[in-house]
Amino acid sequence: MLDTVIIGAGIAGLTAAIYASRKRMQFEIVSTNFGGQMMESGEVLNYPGIKKSTGAGLASTMDKQMKFNNVNVKLETVKEIKKEGSNFAVVTGKNTYDTRSVIIASVAGPRELNVPGENEYKNKGVTYCAICDGPLFADMDVAVIGGGNAALESVDFLLNIAKKIYLINIEEKLIAHEYLQERIQGQEKVEVISKAATKEILGNGKMVTGLKYEQDGEEKEIKVGGVFVEIGRVPNTDFVKSLLKLDEHKHILIDCTTHTSVPGIFAAGDCASGHEYQYVIAAGQGCMALIKAARYLASKKD
Amino acid sequence: MDRGDFMPKVKVYSTPTCPWCHRAKEFLNEIKVEFEDINVAEDQKAAEEMVDKSGQRGVPVIEIDGEIIVGFNPDAIKKALKMEE
Repeated sequence: MLDTVIIGAGIAGLTAAIYASRKRMQFEIVSTNFGGQMMESGEVLNYPGIKKSTGAGLASTMDKQMKFNNVNVKLETVKEIKKEGSNFAVVTGKNTYDTRSVIIASVAGPRELNVPGENEYKNKGVTYCAICDGPLFADMDVAVIGGGNAALESVDFLLNIAKKIYLINIEEKLIAHEYLQERIQGQEKVEVISKAATKEILGNGKMVTGLKYEQDGEEKEIKVGGVFVEIGRVPNTDFVKSLLKLDEHKHILIDCTTHTSVPGIFAAGDCASGHEYQYVIAAGQGCMALIKAARYLASKKD
Repeated sequence: MDRGDFMPKVKVYSTPTCPWCHRAKEFLNEIKVEFEDINVAEDQKAAEEMVDKSGQRGVPVIEIDGEIIVGFNPDAIKKALKMEE
């Protein structure tokens, strides 16, 4: 019987693992992959103690930090958490872990447009990671969908790669941090199309050739070879939807000290209700969840 | 692990900014598999070759003895290398 199982190896889960290791708890950390969304974001300019890094840089540092703390992330996908008395069984595709508590830090993934053509042309011009696939769109006309930080970071990244960049924003105004808006202002190759709802991704059967959007009740079409979807995040919580209370956007409901609706289960980071997707918040919540779990275990009888 | 004289030809099509590409290359280094790293951000011809071979426009693409793996998938890499646990 383990003290705790940490689900997810984004910044929240990894922070919890550092604390668990240093508290000499019996624990496992299991995750589909290492690094979570750190692996798909560009610059990091707002993490205290680190002046400037990248998502991958931060993940690489945390990888070393795990080795230093003897933490071994098991690459397994959790299918289910079963309640067994006051304890739990965490079931993955490979193993079942019996544990006295659980910390869920199962991250969030890209939100999809849910329009015709999106699935058909996934990776065939439709992408959710500009810093990964962006360089493959050299001298092409592309569209970035969104108006937040990730969308503007993508536009900024594509400035030196693409020929023309349409920024398709469903809202009237951009909501990205001001410093990002400043970077794209006055850029000749960027055309911002506001109040535009993407309706369909068009293609020739092999690759993307354009997209349709609706603006002021009128349907319009642009020719692009790439569509970068940056319209937010969806928490990865399907595996606990029948066990825990979720909010209307599928985040795990937590109180301000990371307790969920089930005693013994704690949640942290982007999978939890907080709605502000920031590294430093995820790290803080991961730390809080582990310490609260340790306090819970100290008073638990079995 | 002894793979005898089985030396597969491995190519990694990648971009320098792609974290999953770095991860894939680190993984190949960890399991001591030699590979050719092809930077498709600079080599336009190789980029087209990758798109043709994989039928898609995302990185990393890993080619192991002609078999194409899209994305970083350690299990699929091990399987293609006949290194299953």
